[in-house]
Amino acid sequence: MIEINKLAKKFKVENPKKLSAQDKKDPRLQGRFFHSVREVSFSCQNGEVLGLLGPNGAGKTTTLRMLSTALQPDSGSINIGGFDILKSPVEARKQIGFLSGGTGLYGRLSGRENIAYFGKLNGMTTAEITKRTAELSERLDMDSFLDRRSETYSTGMKQKASIARSVIHSPKVVILDEPTTGLDIMATQTVLNFIRDLKRDNVPVIFSTHHLDEVSELCDRVTVIDKGVTVFNNTFDAFRALDEVSLHEAFLRSIGKPKHQTTDL
Amino acid sequence: MWLVFQKEIKELLRDRKTLFFMIALPILLFPLLIGGTLYVGTNVVKGAVEKTRTYAIIGDQFSDELVGKLNEIEQFSLRKLPSKVQTKEQIIAYVKEGNIDFVIKIPENYSSKVLDSGKITLKLYRNQAGLKVVESKLNEIVDELSASYQTTALSALGLSESQKISVITPIEVEEINVADERETQGESIGGFIPYLIFMLCLQGAMLPASDLGAGEKERGTLETLLITPIERTKIVLGKFFTIAFAGVTSALVTVLSIALWTAVLSKGEAGEVLVKFMSSIDAIDFLLVFFMLIPVVAIFAAVLLTLSIYARSFKEAQGYMTPLVFVTIIPVIFAMLPGVQLKGIWAWVPLTNVALAIKELIKGTMDYVQLFAIFGSTAIIAGGLLAFCIYWFKQEKVLFR
Repeated sequence: MIEINKLAKKFKVENPKKLSAQDKKDPRLQGRFFHSVREVSFSCQNGEVLGLLGPNGAGKTTTLRMLSTALQPDSGSINIGGFDILKSPVEARKQIGFLSGGTGLYGRLSGRENIAYFGKLNGMTTAEITKRTAELSERLDMDSFLDRRSETYSTGMKQKASIARSVIHSPKVVILDEPTTGLDIMATQTVLNFIRDLKRDNVPVIFSTHHLDEVSELCDRVTVIDKGVTVFNNTFDAFRALDEVSLHEAFLRSIGKPKHQTTDL
Repeated sequence: MWLVFQKEIKELLRDRKTLFFMIALPILLFPLLIGGTLYVGTNVVKGAVEKTRTYAIIGDQFSDELVGKLNEIEQFSLRKLPSKVQTKEQIIAYVKEGNIDFVIKIPENYSSKVLDSGKITLKLYRNQAGLKVVESKLNEIVDELSASYQTTALSALGLSESQKISVITPIEVEEINVADERETQGESIGGFIPYLIFMLCLQGAMLPASDLGAGEKERGTLETLLITPIERTKIVLGKFFTIAFAGVTSALVTVLSIALWTAVLSKGEAGEVLVKFMSSIDAIDFLLVFFMLIPVVAIFAAVLLTLSIYARSFKEAQGYMTPLVFVTIIPVIFAMLPGVQLKGIWAWVPLTNVALAIKELIKGTMDYVQLFAIFGSTAIIAGGLLAFCIYWFKQEKVLFR
């Protein structure tokens, strides 16, 4: 289980004077600081998939970076299975698997070497890595290309190798930051199947996306962030109930936009 | 840390671009450069020396001896001046137009009995460009004749042999070089060697440094690495050692390539000098030169990695690194200046002190106690820069710019 409570993060603005008039009106800009995340709270139980939605610049990536320990929150708490990850981030990283749209593979290493490198960084033994790689290779059908340099892979192959890399250490929670952005239909399907597998294995998944069909297909819970604040946090059914006809309209309602008004989703 | 180092080295050795610049280029480029320079140089000089020069003599009736000696020179071909060329201006114009390479005018007073004739002035009309050969050949003849005429004249004056020598050369400087051969050769090339090695280390480390910091950011692999359980200090150290390794390897490969190809292409002659010079340097001094390079390479690796981590892209990193070459050249140039010695303030100027120490080691005149002080101070600077690099790598504003 993951529990995030009142998370906040601000960044120093390099040249506040150079900001446009519209940017200066943003409530998140306070003096020389931009409060990217002001108060974000949500939770996700084991075996649940949580869809993290919000307009561009809402604070989704900053929130996920704090969850992955890449960024240190200014305030708030993150709890994974009763373990406060902010107190010991190095230990916490062993519990987390992270995957983004950018595949994060080293092109001059083979897929197998990439996976093994991250396995070793996570403290696994060679025997453990070999066993787990074989298991993932079979599950993701990677045998035919795993020993080739990853720079020669197709987008789909890269995404499969990336998935294997992110879960080589059998993490207790998986975080996915827009993992299907820029992928073709086949590669997208690989990612969606991977999320289903995690759900079946009782692993909680936090998944940020702009694709509402993916939310409909996979998510048990939905959290909507707007201007750095959680504006909706409930089950998928409750989200759908916001507008019975269209998920798009349901999203607009969740961020307080009038019906039929377009937004940058 | 070694895990990161091993992986980075593996990637580095699989990168054709890096391998090309680090190994293939020094091995292939230097023979081409050295060979080409030797070939062109030898042929140009040979051509200039062997080319036949046309000349004319005015006043040949005044000295059969001089005319005879000029005729003996194979590369000189005698011509007759047209009758219209008489005056000084006409001779100058004739030579300037390229009708003839040079003209010699023998004065009427020419005589082997210089006591009677007075000073003899030969006039040589030549175009300045490219006729040094003529001047040197003519000087050889004039020197020989002058010596002979002087001796005859002095004998006529009734001087003894020793008096003749005293009159011809009243004062002479006899140089007694107290420096041994190694010191003399070390002084002439010892300043250049650190410059070469420093530049090669820096250049060899630049490409991998750009790749290991900014390159990872650009490819999106850095964030993935940051969220693994390995401490950030270890990530920095792994990358730092990889860059340092690349710098040292690149320098060693290039220096060996230069030494080897110089020896091969100069058909053993330069090789013998090189081998003789090298063998005069103690093994311990060679080791100490290498030892002195360690903190220098560490300084380069720490600065390059710091710049690379700050940059958003490979291209931006290369832009930050280029001025570093000029920053490095200045202290090394100081060490090459005459009069700059490993004393006083110079012993504390980073890079200059190491360059001077390497020069002293090559010359064999090193004060070894000072060596450890220089190593220590340079190592402290390198350690400080590495500590800053680690601090820098932990800054969110640097990693997520």
